[in-house]
Amino acid sequence: MTLARTTSINLLGLKGEPIEIEVDVSNGLPAYSLLGLPDATLSESRDRIRAAILNSGRSWPNRKVTVSLSPAWLPKSGSGFDLPIALAILAASEQLDGSKIENFFFLGELSLEGNLRPVRGVLPMLIAARELGVKRVVVPRENFQEAGLLKDLEVNSFSKLSEVIHYLEDGVRFENPTLMETPIQSSTVDMADVSGHREVKSALEVGAIGGHNLLMIGAPGSGKTMLAERFATVLPQLDETEAIEVSGIHSIAGTLKDRSLLSVEPPFISPHHSITIPALVGGGSSNIKPGACSLAHRGVLFLDEAPECDSGILDALRQPLESGSITITRSALTASFPARFILLLAANPCPCGRFAGRGRGCQCTSLQVRRYLSKLSGPLLDRIDIRLSVETPSRAELSEPVKETSADIRARVITARAISAERFADYSFKLNSQIPPNLLRERFRPTREGMTVLHSLLDKEELSARGFHRTIRLSWSIADMQGVTVPGINEIERALTLRSGLPGE
Amino acid sequence: MNYALLRLFHATDPGDKFWSREIAEKSPEQVLDDIESGRYSSSKRSIERVQKRLRERSLDSLLQEISLSGGEFIGRGTSKWPHSLDELVSPPLGIIVKGAIPKCNSIALVGTRNPTTYGARIASEFASGFADREIEVISGGAYGIDTHAHRGAIAAEGRTIAVLASGISTKYPAGNERLFEEISANGSLISEVMPNEKARPERFLTRNRLIAALSRATIVVEAAFRSGSLRTAHDASELMRIVLAVPGPITSPTSDGCHRLIGERCAEIVTSVSDAMEFLPQSTCTLCVDGS
Repeated sequence: MTLARTTSINLLGLKGEPIEIEVDVSNGLPAYSLLGLPDATLSESRDRIRAAILNSGRSWPNRKVTVSLSPAWLPKSGSGFDLPIALAILAASEQLDGSKIENFFFLGELSLEGNLRPVRGVLPMLIAARELGVKRVVVPRENFQEAGLLKDLEVNSFSKLSEVIHYLEDGVRFENPTLMETPIQSSTVDMADVSGHREVKSALEVGAIGGHNLLMIGAPGSGKTMLAERFATVLPQLDETEAIEVSGIHSIAGTLKDRSLLSVEPPFISPHHSITIPALVGGGSSNIKPGACSLAHRGVLFLDEAPECDSGILDALRQPLESGSITITRSALTASFPARFILLLAANPCPCGRFAGRGRGCQCTSLQVRRYLSKLSGPLLDRIDIRLSVETPSRAELSEPVKETSADIRARVITARAISAERFADYSFKLNSQIPPNLLRERFRPTREGMTVLHSLLDKEELSARGFHRTIRLSWSIADMQGVTVPGINEIERALTLRSGLPGE
Repeated sequence: MNYALLRLFHATDPGDKFWSREIAEKSPEQVLDDIESGRYSSSKRSIERVQKRLRERSLDSLLQEISLSGGEFIGRGTSKWPHSLDELVSPPLGIIVKGAIPKCNSIALVGTRNPTTYGARIASEFASGFADREIEVISGGAYGIDTHAHRGAIAAEGRTIAVLASGISTKYPAGNERLFEEISANGSLISEVMPNEKARPERFLTRNRLIAALSRATIVVEAAFRSGSLRTAHDASELMRIVLAVPGPITSPTSDGCHRLIGERCAEIVTSVSDAMEFLPQSTCTLCVDGS
């Protein structure tokens, strides 16, 4: 037999494209050609594969070897193709029965010694493979915990190429390591660590209930960052599908180490303000990786010192905030990543940070203060429902013991979210922040008195049409928090206060 | 129109005490003649600058600049001149007005460029309240309180006046260009410099004295501890005009200046439009030609 084939997967965003691998070994001068638009990592596979085969006690066919990855037009990347190509070469050179490798899905990078090395993106690749009807997979041992999350696949893990060959030839099974139980995670931070800030905490709770984006403005040291870091701990935990989805994204980005597998805690991502646009929304030429936005999917994206971000960074967030996903288009391909996160921004009141309290230490001119905060204004600010001013807690507040833990708040958030989920049972959206405008005017109207307040503000041009809708969405979250069935005048007024903790205009 | 006055208006700096006094004592023609014949000693530093400017621009080009801007030059002492300006230590030689000539019953609303939502709302609500009582609103042209005051007056279909530090054609800040158009349709734009002059830092302070002088009372809505609005308030109190300040939370830096004015007894505390109305003098200006 001089021709062998097997299959693998190339990832585009979270979507997997099946790749057919064909290897032909024919007479001619010894040569190796790899077809199908491989990237640098994949082109280098030849030398890894050759050394690995020789070091696993097999021989390299000293003939003309042609490897074709189809569809040919699709650019392919990554070292995960090493193992399937090596096995197909062995089959094509009659060192392995070709029929044995056809029903498997192989994944793994080879070391020169013939060891199997872990690869990125195993989880989304296997999810894609499962959708293609694959039943049995072979992965590197280090990826076993990740692959094992998919209970309906037969996962075999090995640490050496020779073990894989042995298994395929003789059916000798190597014991898989035991699957780790999902760790019960206890977060290291808790809302109870923060004293005072009762108003802010309550606003964060409203944000968590409805999935509203937030902005906190306050002097340095007033507790913005501390509160932000604890925000994810009051969000409801992820269910299994969500957790696998989130782990999948982290698997592609190679950040699974930071997050334990199948963690049910919503991710909290806080990039430094020097972040670039590709790092924020995702990017790369052939091997498109998710950015911070997608890593924060179903969790929180926190940008501290937001006005310090380069121009364009904050505006790049607008599309994902609106659509809940990011589509990255490059010359050859287009990849989509989900990015439905709660945006949390923090900012100082002015460049020097002292324009708080009586503000006498501040050296900035009124124009500087204005410019600083106006970096946030415009369309992005329109998408931020809750704007808070964070003040340094008083001595009395600091000495007061905090009884309420994150778990207490989370329990209330879960209850409130259940109420809204029931209300939206007939619709595709789940959170108050996602109610479409037409439904706000018809099905989900606040009470008559509440609407009167809003209409009078509209008449006075103190509220834009967008602000009008956003206030109603926010009032629903407040109503859910307080167990009120329909938001009335109190909820509307609270919503207006939460929206307004920010300089005018 | 007094052409000699216009030429001097262009050549001298706004708020210059010396030239303001000279022209008040002599006639503009006399001063112009004295300058051109070199009768002023060179110890007066500004003389060279004034001479240079007089040489640079012809009367025709000045008239053309004004007519292109759509404004009107009103010289000191002419029939349309707002006499309240004469109370200043150094009254302007003239003003450029685009829109209607201001009456003497207006109220100034001044404050910071970066107000809180509270300050922005108070500024526009007060302005609407005054507009409802047919009182003109005066303010600068800056972002923040100034902008909100004008918007409030325009929303209530009242008249509003912007006193600019730049020329009336320069439109500084550029973001307020549309607002200036609305103001000139619903009131007037006023400045003490030629229409195409740029806004220079020192001109904001000299401009502030015009706001103080043109209004019956000055209300500081929100101002930080160091703020140009406090200068307007002090100018107003020197002219024996009424100064009012709106209080805010003591934790808000943009209310600190207002509290300072109240604390120093420079300003009365004001909490509503009807409050402010009670402070206003009952008699209207007797100097005005139309008696309003």
